[in-house]
Amino acid sequence: MNARPPRGPMGLRQREAWAGWLFAAPALLGLALFMAVPFVLAVGLSFTNLRLGSPLPTRFVGVENYARLLEDDAFRRALLNNAIFALAVVPLQTALALALALMLNLDLRGRAVYRALFFMPVVFPMALIAVVWQLIYAEGDSGLLNGFLGAISFGYIEPQAWLRDPRLALPAIIVLSIWQGVGFQMVVLLAGLQAIPRMLYESAALDGASAWQRLRFVTLPQLRNPLVFTALITTILAFRVFDQVQIMTRGGPNRATTTVMYEAIQAAYSRQQVGYAAAMTVVFFVCVLIIALVQRRLVCEEREVA
Amino acid sequence: MRYSRILIAAALLSTNSLMACGGREAPTAEPGVTLLTVWAHSGQESERQALTRMVEQFNATNDDIRVDITFLADGGYNSQVQSAALANALPDLLEFDGPFVYNYAWQGHLLPLDDLLPDELRERLIPSIIEQGTYAGGLYSVGMYDSGLGLYGRRSMLDEAGVRIPAGPEDAWSADEFEAALAALAAITPHGRALDLKLNYTGEWYCYAFSPAIQSAGGDLIDREDYQSADGVLNSPEAVAVMTRFQSWLNEHEYVDPNTDDTAFTGGRVALSWVGHWEYPRYLEAHGDDLVVMPLPDFGNGPRTGQGSWNWGITRRCEDPAAAMRFLEFLLEDAQVLAMTEGNAAVPATTTAAAQSPLYAEGSPLNLFVTQLTEGYGVPRPATPAYGVITSVFEQAFDDIRNGADVQTVLDRAVAAIDRDIADNEGYPEPQ
Amino acid sequence: MSGITTTPRWTRVLGYTVITAVAALYVSPIAFMVVGSLKPNAAVLAEAGSWRAFFPSEVSLNNYTAVFERVEFLRFLLNSIIITGSIVAAGLVVNSMAAYAFARLRWPGRTVLFTAVLALMILPFEAIAVPLFYQITLLGWRDTYVAQILPFIANPLSIYLFYAFFIGIPRELEEAARVDGASTARSFAQIIVPNCKPVFATVAIVSFLFYWGFYLWPLMVTVGPEVRPLPVAIAQFQTLPPLRWGDIMAFGVMMVAPVLALFLIFQRAFIQGVAATGLKG
Repeated sequence: MNARPPRGPMGLRQREAWAGWLFAAPALLGLALFMAVPFVLAVGLSFTNLRLGSPLPTRFVGVENYARLLEDDAFRRALLNNAIFALAVVPLQTALALALALMLNLDLRGRAVYRALFFMPVVFPMALIAVVWQLIYAEGDSGLLNGFLGAISFGYIEPQAWLRDPRLALPAIIVLSIWQGVGFQMVVLLAGLQAIPRMLYESAALDGASAWQRLRFVTLPQLRNPLVFTALITTILAFRVFDQVQIMTRGGPNRATTTVMYEAIQAAYSRQQVGYAAAMTVVFFVCVLIIALVQRRLVCEEREVA
Repeated sequence: MRYSRILIAAALLSTNSLMACGGREAPTAEPGVTLLTVWAHSGQESERQALTRMVEQFNATNDDIRVDITFLADGGYNSQVQSAALANALPDLLEFDGPFVYNYAWQGHLLPLDDLLPDELRERLIPSIIEQGTYAGGLYSVGMYDSGLGLYGRRSMLDEAGVRIPAGPEDAWSADEFEAALAALAAITPHGRALDLKLNYTGEWYCYAFSPAIQSAGGDLIDREDYQSADGVLNSPEAVAVMTRFQSWLNEHEYVDPNTDDTAFTGGRVALSWVGHWEYPRYLEAHGDDLVVMPLPDFGNGPRTGQGSWNWGITRRCEDPAAAMRFLEFLLEDAQVLAMTEGNAAVPATTTAAAQSPLYAEGSPLNLFVTQLTEGYGVPRPATPAYGVITSVFEQAFDDIRNGADVQTVLDRAVAAIDRDIADNEGYPEPQ
Repeated sequence: MSGITTTPRWTRVLGYTVITAVAALYVSPIAFMVVGSLKPNAAVLAEAGSWRAFFPSEVSLNNYTAVFERVEFLRFLLNSIIITGSIVAAGLVVNSMAAYAFARLRWPGRTVLFTAVLALMILPFEAIAVPLFYQITLLGWRDTYVAQILPFIANPLSIYLFYAFFIGIPRELEEAARVDGASTARSFAQIIVPNCKPVFATVAIVSFLFYWGFYLWPLMVTVGPEVRPLPVAIAQFQTLPPLRWGDIMAFGVMMVAPVLALFLIFQRAFIQGVAATGLKG
């Protein structure tokens, strides 16, 4: 072409490149400094025996922290607890959210009120919920849950020490977490339900499908995306459980409610063992990554099949 | 055009507000005035208020020093101090709970007080205070008060159940006698509970309150010969026996009230409360003459009780240690010590103050605490930098025992955790 | 066939009863908290096991005044507002700009960096909490607003939400502006932003909800009460002697009231915003 100095399209593209960098720079800087760098630091620190504040020098210890993790009863129990938590919360919360969404989808008057009521706990900080539910779970006759169960069972159900019984503590925390999380899922599913074209239901009905069959073959497939999305989010959140444990049970009784994050924070913050805690968080991230990848794989496969 | 401006303005505003709101503003002093930053624990309301008044008084009467005090929340106090130390953000003067001083001294954060402390003041301090503040041959902290730990009781209920009331540590109950008393008392209380162990407390309480029972039985938290291991002392047969007794009181017999709202003793649900001096004002107000203070039981090797409490140190960051010491001297004057201990019923740290204290004079119910400290029934918590780990491990162990786990296993696990920490820190070598 | 789009009467009655019962049960903990805040302290736990938990015999606002006397509640509230507000406001600007760059502009490294951003989306905060704590400590930012705000402004999920929305805006609008000689900044500010108000609302609401209740990080990073936000404040209030449950409930009510009020007023926006995150994912 002509040997004119760059102007027009060339100049425009350069300006666009500058603009692109400029616009993205603040966010990229933030992500780099406060997400990428700490992550790399976590991996690095996990290979040292850094103890904050210790006058002793920090040494490189290779995989010693990881080896110790394998033998650490508390950490193994924490992983197990997180897994149990996820396996319980995801189906239960989803089922409850779906049931509530289906009920709210019926043309009921005052639907907005019900929707607001069920969504309210989502707006509450978990720290506050943990504090209040301590009274609900209080042992003996003066716990709200004990009183309630005793009343509806006419005294058949005895008062339990919910947060201090190793068998009941984790379920108690699970119930409370579901209570807070259902609203979020319900709202997403409700929106998804309302987006399903009526035509699909009508043609299903014309084919002679019962209500149950309509649910299985029309509703659920149409809800796949929101269901999968909320299930993934809930699973990842299940591994992040910390607030409730820190406030209500401190990982007890007998480590029945300890979680990976609780153990990591205990190690880093209370015992100053930053190297060891970093190893825990790396293991934690790897678990989350695996789960996310597995779920993605499942979803993609299903999509291909369908 | 307007939008771009708004965009830029928003970005600038947010960054501006970030920079401006740097958080707690460093207090500035006028020239010629030494500024002392001080951290204290929140604790009991009476303690906070007393200390605030003292700071105001000191500032008013000392033109060349200004004290700026921050009250930290109790929970996680130790962790906060550690993080501040890392960031070189420690204050000039710092309060800490009893045996945590050793770790701070080991880490090199504290100034030794030996040269700064006037001799006459040193002579007035009761021995347990000096003992508490000494690490590796140097004195690193002084306290305004020491603690008393015992069994508060309701005389009327004890009489009704036919239980003997010990006069002093010499004729404290034996463990069996104590257990029989619990059974008798449980029979007459409204819900069948006899004892309050302050199970609603968290943190340092458990080690402070219940390690004396282990020591009374012949065990201990750590081998005090060289402070390198807890094996054989914390998990000794004697320790296991004592903790098994506690477990039976908690679970099998259900003598202990969970105390979720801290009214077990004041509300009359139990006859005995195993707790320290700080509850005396509240208990006195609730029960008046019916209140009696008794020593802890003897678990086999003589009755033992806890000692040690919050104390003060000067950090290496302090630019004017002499000024800081003037504040400490002020706090240790009789008037201040008495004002503080009047509010929290703790044992005054100086002999001169103790002599003037109405609460601790001969014949008053709290005189027991003075006796315990001066006649050797009190056992100081271990003077090792590992103490922070020891106390949290013990708290966890007590919780596990309370939840029914096998006592030997729990104590073995506790020993392993303590030994591991000591090994990780290469035995906590004393600073050169 | 009748009744496939209108539900039969008995189903509706049953539906009403069930949903009302479930809703009442569901909301009872909240009611318990509110009622508890009005009761005398000793009665809160003592009556928790009976019906009196919901129908108090005497009510007063004493607990509320007690909270103000015992702690600096207003300061904690102000801190929460400053911190959450800053994160949300700055986040809206920074993340939308980045999303625009990814969605509309061509620049070297764009694809690689976008993949990186998506990958960071699954990195939970907890995985970096410990090293971030170490970093912040070394920088000397402990116990400041900065430490509670700066690390959270750039957010991969927000970027993604903006991106998904921006992609859907027809290019013609911007191309028309370009022909008129508008710069990138102007077309962003004048075309995209006004047309994308829903996603800005969504991101603002979701961020706000999350960071208002943020507990772990402020717990690690704050020391005194100066910059302490509400979630940490209530947890520590609970350990402040004397233990008074009525006061704690009152603290809780006041802590959640602003958010609850915002929610009730902007209900529509909240619900639609939350639903939008799910549908886009």
